[in-house]
Formats: sequence, structure tokens, C-alpha cells
Amino acid sequence: MVLIKLANLCYDYPNTCGLDHLDLTINTGEFVCLMGPNGSGKSTLLRILSGLATPKTGEYWLRDQAITANYLSDAQRRQRLHQTVGMVFQNTDVQLFNTSVAEEIAFGPRQLGLNDAEIAQRVTDCLHLTACETLRDRVPYQLSGGEKKRVALASVLALNPEILLLDEPLNGLTIAAQQQMLTLLQRLNAAGKTIIMASHNFQQVQAVGQRFIIFNSLHQLDADMSQADLQSQPERQAQLMTL
Amino acid sequence: MHIPDNYLSPATCGTLVAAMAPVWTVAVIKVKAQVKEHHETLPMLGIAASLAFLIMMFNLPIPGGTTAHAVGGTLLAVLIGPWAACLALTVTLALQALLFGDGGILAFGANAFNMAFIMPFVGYACYRLGQKLHHEKIGLAVGAYLGINVAALVAGVELGLQPLLAHTASGAPLYCPYGLSIAVPAMLTAHLLVAGWVELVFTLLVFQFVKKVAPTNLYQTPTRTNQRPWIALLIGLAALSPLGLLASNTAWGEWDPTELKQLLAQQHLSTQAPQGMVHGFHFQALFSDYAIAGLPVSVGYILSALSAILIFLLLIRGLQHGSETTN
Amino acid sequence: MDPKQPTELPDWLQQPASAHSQASKTSFLQRNQRHLRSLLTRLAQPAPVVKNQRWHLAPQINLIRLLLLVLLIALINNVTLLWCLALLLGFQLLLLPPSQLRRFVRSWLISSFVALLFVLPSYWLTGPGTLLFFGLKTSLMLANAQYYRLTTPFQDLLSGLKALHCPDVLIMTLAIAITYLRMLGQHLLLTMEALELRTVAPTKHPYRLIGAMFGNLYLKSYAYALELYAAMEARGFNGHYVRTSPTRNHWPDYLSLGPDILVLILFIFWRN
Repeated sequence: MVLIKLANLCYDYPNTCGLDHLDLTINTGEFVCLMGPNGSGKSTLLRILSGLATPKTGEYWLRDQAITANYLSDAQRRQRLHQTVGMVFQNTDVQLFNTSVAEEIAFGPRQLGLNDAEIAQRVTDCLHLTACETLRDRVPYQLSGGEKKRVALASVLALNPEILLLDEPLNGLTIAAQQQMLTLLQRLNAAGKTIIMASHNFQQVQAVGQRFIIFNSLHQLDADMSQADLQSQPERQAQLMTL
Repeated sequence: MHIPDNYLSPATCGTLVAAMAPVWTVAVIKVKAQVKEHHETLPMLGIAASLAFLIMMFNLPIPGGTTAHAVGGTLLAVLIGPWAACLALTVTLALQALLFGDGGILAFGANAFNMAFIMPFVGYACYRLGQKLHHEKIGLAVGAYLGINVAALVAGVELGLQPLLAHTASGAPLYCPYGLSIAVPAMLTAHLLVAGWVELVFTLLVFQFVKKVAPTNLYQTPTRTNQRPWIALLIGLAALSPLGLLASNTAWGEWDPTELKQLLAQQHLSTQAPQGMVHGFHFQALFSDYAIAGLPVSVGYILSALSAILIFLLLIRGLQHGSETTN
Repeated sequence: MDPKQPTELPDWLQQPASAHSQASKTSFLQRNQRHLRSLLTRLAQPAPVVKNQRWHLAPQINLIRLLLLVLLIALINNVTLLWCLALLLGFQLLLLPPSQLRRFVRSWLISSFVALLFVLPSYWLTGPGTLLFFGLKTSLMLANAQYYRLTTPFQDLLSGLKALHCPDVLIMTLAIAITYLRMLGQHLLLTMEALELRTVAPTKHPYRLIGAMFGNLYLKSYAYALELYAAMEARGFNGHYVRTSPTRNHWPDYLSLGPDILVLILFIFWRN
């Protein structure tokens, strides 16, 4: 089932281009890896999908709803979009602003009108899923980079988003933690979540991604292929290795 | 609370810059001592200045749908120390005046006096007092509220003095047209009722957050409590107070009630006679008649003609398509 | 830490989320994001400054001129002299490219309006004459300040201050302030965006969030300060801010002060 449809989408930053005429369809339950060199438009695409930016021209459809600046001008609709689409930022420093990890994770569910027991349950589950139990009462500000990544993911998961956007989620994680994060993402994907992950490290994500969307340095779509297709193209793999 | 240009007479502005001079000097000396122990204080001055800029630009929601701004003077004093806060806020105000057009260029001294001196020091004094009485947060809350209100009061007095200090022979005010009876209550009402509370809540919550998350990053008061800086400052101010006389006929704050009433009455009288006379010119006549009293007709013609040509040229220039434009 | 493999997903995470929505007003975050974005755009690409090669003045002269002009306008109550100063500025404006001129007029009108807003009620107190006179003087001052902002890049302000023998610490602090204004602004903007993405209902305690946001921003500034000091030390910082200015012909500089000084002299003598 088509979940996200982008048609002829362009986005410009004040002095540079962000995305150049992008056409893309993403189905429910896909595990998509956005690949490409730095500044090729991966983060821009995530910002548009999350509703933080609206395209200059072109269309963004989420199911049968066009997401436009006008649509997002209504706070209620915006909040509905934020509930559907969760995002883990590249710089998780900006994402953690509470005084304890448990508070941080409870921030989202608390707005959903859940009762205290349900909120506590969600916090415990999210801490467990991201292996953050021991961090429960720590101050997010004082955590290490890898720990912050995991707490940020936990805090987004607590809202149970349908689509999970991740911007370079594996940066700063140890090899073991990377593996664990990928396993968790696969599990979430198996439970029906759509996962869209930006990365420039092909080695880390080649085993888990089901679909690879590759941007070139001109902010255009270079290739869009399934994992199987990619396996049969060693030269493409070699190219992605050098990103 | 940023006072724009032309609201204060140049003499008042000069006096306040002079009043700030010893404060800045002491601040530089104190901060140099602080830098010896905490090297990061030096770059922190600049970074704190940009932090203060962002605080002052942030719209805080207040009930009723409108917004207010915090100034953050007390907060910065508590976070990085009062002397460093004084310098950082001075830099913020300079940036705002020169590059962003917030607050006047001439009025810079006055704005610095209110917001970079009075506010952080009043706030910090209350905070320290609260700390000594083991009610740090109450001290901070009182400090934030009092700090901004005292600053507003001083700003109100500065503005309200203008009609008394500078007016034409007929009593028409040259700068801020509101007397003390209007300026002070207007400034105070706004700050006592709204801005003070906004400042209080903002200061307290940011402080609480930092205290909880990283208590070591708060400014540690030097252990030895010496009174020297305060004394130096007071002496400096005392030495400068005669300067105030330069700015006014009546000494600062020493006008007696009858005189005040008389001056205010005189000012209100001009309402009945709105001649708008300044140096013998009729304002209404300025544009309706080429001949201006006291000015040779020929000069008036030339000026008017030049203005007309200039306005015409500017209009044309403004409507041109800028193909060559900028480089 | 020993990473444990999560066993399986909890039920609530496997079920599709139930739509939860509550009516709410436009959040304060939106408005602040808008303001911050425009500030950042302005800092990221400052409006191209017009440089007139023939009439390019030394930065310190520009600064002195601005101060002198503003002071003169504040002092002068003689309409003719003020008129002359306005004409002087008008001719300077003629040298601006059209797009810059439009920008000038727009921001000048806005700032004049804001500055005059508070004085409008005095109409009932002092009559139209005083109000008109005050308004003209204020907007003339604002126009001069605006002209300076439009034609002076930030670097020129710094070298102007340096040439006027401002203390190095002050100049360095100004330079740091403007650089970090952009970095801290960026950080604050991203924080607001992240916060908004996790906001699915009207905020009950906006001030708590604001407190956390600025608390974080302060901690970030502290971290920046530590980094910056380390970098300064690593580059052999000795407390001096060096700026070389090319040797140049000074006569246009002094000439440019001419009209202002002429008005000053006229002001002094006209009074008697």
C-alpha cells in the first residue's frame, strides 16, 4: 500500500539547492535506506517528510492527504502528522531537553492522555528496547554520544509513530550498539513500522536495508533499488562503499 | 525596555555613559580576575552576549494570546557572575543598537545603565541575600522581579525627566514628551504586572534546569567576601554624580514638589496652546508655505526645490529594476 | 554496559497508534521558529553591502560620521539645518542600487513606526507641532543609523572600533558574539524543531519547556566557551586582536566629514 508519494519535489535553501525534482513512492512497512554523500539531500528529505520543511514546488502525499504549508498551518493537523511520523535527529543534543532520561521518554506519552500506569509501562518498555535501563535516572545532558542516540530513539518510540525517520542513527555507536540498534529497527519494521534511515555508511546498513535510495551530489535521485538488485551490482556497491 | 534615539536628550545620554564608565572599568578588572581561575570566561563573554541576544528576541507566551520578552539580566548574573554579565549585556546592547536597530545609538549608555548594570546587580544582590538566608530560589525570584522593575523605574525616570530638562522657551518638550507623572507609571505598570512576572518565571525555570542538570556550570561566588568592588563602585558613582548637574538645571532627583508641579503644569499648559513653536518656526507652515519665518525666502525656495528633486530621483531609483544592483 | 538483546516488542508498539488529537492554538514555537529563521538567514547571508570604490571611506570615519550625525540631529532644533542634514542623507541614498534603496525604505519605515508608536498619545498632551517635530527628528536619526547598517559590513565595524583604539577584549568579544549568535541560534532552532516533532497535544506548561530549552542553550554555550578557549590557546592566543588595514589616502575620509562639520558650525553660530 502506498504510504508516501513525492511528485516532482523541489526544495531550495537560501543559497543552495536542497532537492532537485524528486519523484518517489514508499510503501507501508518498507525499510528504506537513503544513501548519498554529505549534503546530497538526505536530511532535507527527512525534514520534508517530518513536516519541518515544506517543498517549494511539487507534492508530498501521505496516504491520501497532501501535506502542504497550508495544511500544516493548522496546529491540530501538524500534531497529527507528528504523531504519525517520528524522527531521530542527527545531532541528538538538540532532541533531549528534560532533566532525566525517564522524564525524557515520558514527555511524549504524557501528552497522549494516557494514565500514569500506561506511561510508566511505556517508559520501562522503551528503556528496555533500547537497552537504556541503567540510564533511567541519569541526566540526558551528561550522557555520551551513543547513549544520547539510544535515549533519543527511545523517546521517539514512546509515541508509537507509524513512520520512523532516522538521520545517521548509527554515528557514535559502538559496533555492538550499532548491531543492536539495527536489530531493534528490523524488529520494529517487522511489527509494521515503516523505517526511513539516512546514512552515508553503506557497510553498516547494507545487511538490513530492503530498499536503497541513492542521491548524487547534485541533489538528484541517482538510483532506487531493492537489496536484491544491489547485490547483483558490485560496481554500485563499490561506489556506495566510498561515500 | 530598549530606549530608542531621540527619547533622551544628548546631555542625559552623555551623563549615563559617564556613569557607566567606572562600572565598565571595575567590570573589566573583576572579569580579568575571574579569567585567571576560569579561562573559559573570556570567550564566554561573547557567547553569553549572543545568548542574551537570543533571550531578548524570544517571544514568551503570556495569557491572553500576546507575547512578552525576557531580558535575562538577573539570569546571566547568576549564571556567569554579575561582572561578566554586565560586560556581556553591554556587548549585546551594542550589537542591537549598531547592527539590528534595537535601542538607540546615543541612548546606548542609558540602555546599558538600565539593563547591563541596574538589572543584573539588583537581581544578583537579591539572589545572594536569598542564598545567605538559605532560600536561594526565593532570592532569585525576588531578584528577577525586582531587577527588571528597578530597571524599568530608572528608565521611566530617565524618560520622565526629559520634559523638565529639555524644552523650548514656550515649554514644548524637545525629547520624550511625557513627564514623570506619565513615564514612570507607564513603565512600572507594564513591568510590575506583566514583564516582571515573565522575567521571574523564565529566570527561575532556566536556573532550576541548569542547577539540576549541571550545577557545576553555575557561577561560583568567590569564597572570600570582600566589599571592595562595591565600595569602589559607590565611590565611582559618587564622584560622577556632579556630572548629573551638567545635564540638568535641577539636580537629579532633588527637585522639590512645588517646582515639579509648576513645570508639569507649564507643560500641560502647552496643550491649550499647541503652537509647536521651536526657535520661531511654525511646523504646520513647514510644508504649506515655502517661506519660513526667520529664513530668507530664497533659501527656503532652494531647500524646497532640492527636496522635491531629491524625492523625485529617489522614487525613480526605488522603482528601477536592479539589474546592475549589488556586488 | 552490557548490551542486552531486546526480546520482543511490547503490545502497544505493535498496534497502530490511535489518532489522538486535541484542538489547540498556534503554538509559540511556530512564531519563534519563524523569527529565528529570518535572523539566521540574515546572519548567514548578510545583505550585500554596497561599496562605492571612489567614495569608500575608512571604517572608523564611517563610525564617527554616524555618531556625529546622530548627535547633531539630537542637538539641533533648527528646522533648516535638519532639512540640510536630511538632504545630505538623501543624496547618499541616491548612490544606493534600487534594490538596496527599497530595502532601506522598508526597514526605515518599520523602525520609525515602532519608535514613534509610544509617542503618538502625546498628541493630546503637547499638540501636533511637537509631535511632528519629534517624529521627523527621530526618523531622521533612524534613517542615518539604517544607512550605516546597510552600507557597513560587520568586519568594517570591528576594524572601525579597532582604529578608534577600542580595547582588544571588547572587539574580540563582539566578534565572538556575532559568530556564536549564529551557532547558538541554529542550536535553538533545531531544539525547537525537535520539540515540535514530539509535541502531539497543546503544551500545558510552555514555560517549563522554555526553561529547559534555554537551560540547554546555556549549557551548550558553556561547552562552546570551553572548546573555543582550547582552540584559542592552541593557536597561541595572546589577548591581542590584530587587524591590518591597508595604507590609504585619507583626504576623502576627511572630506566626507566636511558637510557634517559645516552643519555643526552652522548650528553653533545660528544659536547665538
